[in-house]
Amino acid sequence: MGQDTEVGGVSLPSGPDAKKRRVTYFYEPTIGDYYYGQGHPMKPHRIRMAHNLIIHYYLHRRMEINRPFPAAPEDIRLFHSDEYVDFLSAVTPETLGENTFSRQLKRFNVGEDCPVFDGLFNFCQASAGGSIGAAVKLNRGDADIAINWAGGLHHAKKSEASGFCYVNDIVLGILELLKVHRRVLYVDIDVHHGDGVEEAFYTTDRVMTVSFHKFGDFFPGTGHVKDVGAGPGKNYALNVPLNDGMDDENFCGLFRPVIQKVMEVYQPDAVVLQCGADSLSGDRLGCFNLSVKGHADCLRFIRSFNVPLMVLGGGGYTIRNVARCWCYETAVAVGIEPDNKLPYNEYFEYFGPDYTLHVDPCNMENLNSPKDMEKIRMTLLEQLSKLPHAPSVPFQTTPSTVEVPEEVEEDMDRRPKRRIWSGDDYDSDHDEDVKIGPRYSNIRDVPDEMEEEKPEGPPSSS
Amino acid sequence: MARWSGFTNGSSEDCLETVGGHQANDCCLNVAHVVRDQLDDEVKLECLFHQLLSIYIKEKNSRGIVRPLPVMIGDGQSLDLYKLFFSVKERGGYAVVSEKGLWGLVTKELGLNPQILASVKLVYGKYLNEFERWLSKARGGKNFKSGNHECNIDFKSVPPELAEEFRDLLSRDGELKDDVSVQLLSCKMRSNIDLINHESEMNLLDKKNQPPICENVHSILGDVDLKFCDSVEDDLVSMNSEVSVKEFSSRKRKREAFSSMLNWIRKIAKHPRDPSIEEIPEASKWKEYKGQDFWVQILRAREALQLKSCDKPNCGQSPLQKQKMHPALYEDHVAVSHHSTAKLRWSKRLPTSIKSQICSCCDSRSAIENKLPCSVTEEENASLEKKTAADGSLNAKERANPSADDTVKKVVAIGPLFQAEVPKWTGVVSESDSKWLGTQVWPLKDREPQPFSDTDIIGRGRQETCGCQVQGSVECVRFHIAEKRMKLKLDLGLAFYLWGFDRMGEEVSLQWTPEQEKKFKNIMSNLPSQNKSKQFKYFPKKTRKSLICYYFNVFLIQRRIYQNRVTPNNVDSDDDEHEFGSFTDGFGMEALKGPGYKFLECSLNNRCTELE
Repeated sequence: MGQDTEVGGVSLPSGPDAKKRRVTYFYEPTIGDYYYGQGHPMKPHRIRMAHNLIIHYYLHRRMEINRPFPAAPEDIRLFHSDEYVDFLSAVTPETLGENTFSRQLKRFNVGEDCPVFDGLFNFCQASAGGSIGAAVKLNRGDADIAINWAGGLHHAKKSEASGFCYVNDIVLGILELLKVHRRVLYVDIDVHHGDGVEEAFYTTDRVMTVSFHKFGDFFPGTGHVKDVGAGPGKNYALNVPLNDGMDDENFCGLFRPVIQKVMEVYQPDAVVLQCGADSLSGDRLGCFNLSVKGHADCLRFIRSFNVPLMVLGGGGYTIRNVARCWCYETAVAVGIEPDNKLPYNEYFEYFGPDYTLHVDPCNMENLNSPKDMEKIRMTLLEQLSKLPHAPSVPFQTTPSTVEVPEEVEEDMDRRPKRRIWSGDDYDSDHDEDVKIGPRYSNIRDVPDEMEEEKPEGPPSSS
Repeated sequence: MARWSGFTNGSSEDCLETVGGHQANDCCLNVAHVVRDQLDDEVKLECLFHQLLSIYIKEKNSRGIVRPLPVMIGDGQSLDLYKLFFSVKERGGYAVVSEKGLWGLVTKELGLNPQILASVKLVYGKYLNEFERWLSKARGGKNFKSGNHECNIDFKSVPPELAEEFRDLLSRDGELKDDVSVQLLSCKMRSNIDLINHESEMNLLDKKNQPPICENVHSILGDVDLKFCDSVEDDLVSMNSEVSVKEFSSRKRKREAFSSMLNWIRKIAKHPRDPSIEEIPEASKWKEYKGQDFWVQILRAREALQLKSCDKPNCGQSPLQKQKMHPALYEDHVAVSHHSTAKLRWSKRLPTSIKSQICSCCDSRSAIENKLPCSVTEEENASLEKKTAADGSLNAKERANPSADDTVKKVVAIGPLFQAEVPKWTGVVSESDSKWLGTQVWPLKDREPQPFSDTDIIGRGRQETCGCQVQGSVECVRFHIAEKRMKLKLDLGLAFYLWGFDRMGEEVSLQWTPEQEKKFKNIMSNLPSQNKSKQFKYFPKKTRKSLICYYFNVFLIQRRIYQNRVTPNNVDSDDDEHEFGSFTDGFGMEALKGPGYKFLECSLNNRCTELE
């Protein structure tokens, strides 16, 4: 599919990362049956559609696919408040009218944006269970990349539902990662600000949050560039406010240098990437103009650092494009460049009239002027320069998991000793990346590293 | 009604303009007389309507939301807002009209081309929906409008019996009646009228510059009230016991326990020198009082509020944030959604209401600290004033910050109520339960290695061409999907079922009889306002789950089949209001019921014969 990389693609040869990744993907088969209610833009069915595409592209041959273990209320309480979890686990559409709940509905912001629907708590359990499972997979060193498209519900607060999110699976997943990893980087490319995750880790330097989002008269209203964290977490929250019509080139031109610098300075032991697909062109609620490739380039870039990576879903309200995006990103994770012509599948008609994997961005106006972009880039890089090069957490090698010491040993042979990227072996010309965006147009013709990869058998499961 | 169209388009606009142009006194007085002497009921109503609307629009304009009048739509036709308003009201309001798809009818009734019903709906949404809400608010607050003195005078000049008349007139229109009559009757007694307005920072700031101090007090009252809602649970429980509970209808979020105290403040605000108000002792003696008096309660409330914002140095923003999530604030939000079936879901796109509420909180904090003491105990305590002056400057500084960016910034809340507990890194790794790995579905454990090399198929799309007679036809696609399914089934084995592939795609319809399917389609197409619970009544034997499954796997796919072939430039799989119908109006439904509707039936028939 070389021709596809030429059409609007921004894929880069990812340097020394042409190495195969062990990918685990969590999928709950009943997820598509949950239904927020008529007229509600959030449709869990999109996760089933993505899964369907993934399987029809036979990407499962390169992955381990698990059904997540549902997170119990006590697991969810590791972040959320007791009362809130009790409420979520108890409320049903039938008991909504009861007196005890009517007060709590308002208190916990449940009702309109976040309706009470059939199986609400089971849905939350599956979503959270997948993300915690992904974290455990990475903790044990069983996988290099762990995917949970049912996760990424980044708006949920400690005691409050928000923006279609009830349980913050991301926070729970990161807390799990922190058991083994000193520093976790969270990157959010949903069109909405990742406020729930930012708030949860606003005062710690063990988690750095970076969110790229539309800012200004847009939900949830947070994510100002000057919100940088507080206390020990000061400067460990990074916000990239953007405007309508953000396109691939601009996004990439900001994402790459910023993330590059973050990786360099923060040196995370694990990365969590929230891949909300509402930043795609033509989203029902979003206002960016990214192509699937531009969106997936974020994953491709982060993947290239060869740090344990959790990939989560998030927003996305034009469901055919969500399925396209997450399928393609699964392919990027396993190192496959799939054909543009979609294979026949049960949901084939959803993807008409072109029936292709990629859709062209529209010709909407990009309100992000080069000047604004430059200004934001400088502001962010300046903030990053304030970070101590070695973050305050004492620097030592990751201890092995008590449970499976031998496996970890073995893992270490198979990948660089220090799994974090050291800062200079990424790409010979990465310095240029930091400087400007426009040069990406020059490298589109470079064949993707993935095509050169020799196929191997399916990953061994244990 | 018809004979008044001239009036509406001509003189009523004049009326509007003059009201806007600060000559309202004459004009409206004039109109009032005219109304009484010559005109029929409808005109009185209409005139009143335009007066209120113009006030409302003016208020909007002052906040930078420009709503030009008269409203022009289509090709330069002007839209009669009054007619529109009552036409919609007659049918049960915006929500009902949208649900029943009556916008076409409404548009026709206004003598406009039904094709522009979308614009009519939009105009209603932009102008009248909020206006309606504003009216209810005005009613709720028993007050009318801040800063609009002309208007007050008008109403004062309306004789009481006329006010009665108005009330009778309006009694047809349930909601409006209360709004207007309460306000008409009460406006006489008010010399200074304002609306407790939480929505706009601008408004509060404006008020600061207005001479009569009572106005400020009014706005503060709102804030106090709001603050109390917030803090009552945590800090001020003690106050509860002493306050007598009185009916106080000013706002629905009200905690009744404080109403008498608020009434008291109100009273003082209006008549600061009223001898019936007992004198407030020196600040030094305050501690001796135990809380029976209203002023003690107020001081305590103020103290609690200040404590909340000041006690934890790095938690300065927390009360603010608490307010953010407080249900009281959310209620306004709910109210918004009740007025429109567009519902809060859309708040993702229209966050302004939340945002403005937040900003009002942030502002109210400064307002309360600035103003409360000086208005309550104006003469007595200079010392307190000094203190608050200091607070005030602090707040001003806080406020200055976000305004520099022209947007009001939401602040990230800090405190144990908001952050996750992150343990310090110790180097000791705690073990994770292996249950989290879940159930491995793939690779299948009891399976031989793959029969063929996966280079062949991984990432592979469909063939360029096929041997079907009509390539790309519904039959062709269905055939290839079935073919691919068989292949996949072989490849996946047990996983095919574990992942629920047997419940994906149009095959789901096999579990339905043709009659059921037809019924489902009819319900979807003809009864857009049907809510789910009712829908399930039609299929007593089907579970909710199977209906949803059918919807996504069969119904939507068939709709898309049609779109892909007939309207390829306009495809949509996401707007399930069209199908489930809660948001869109009759316009959308009519479009869908065009050829596509028939086509769906055809395709259904085809498929059934195929399967047989």
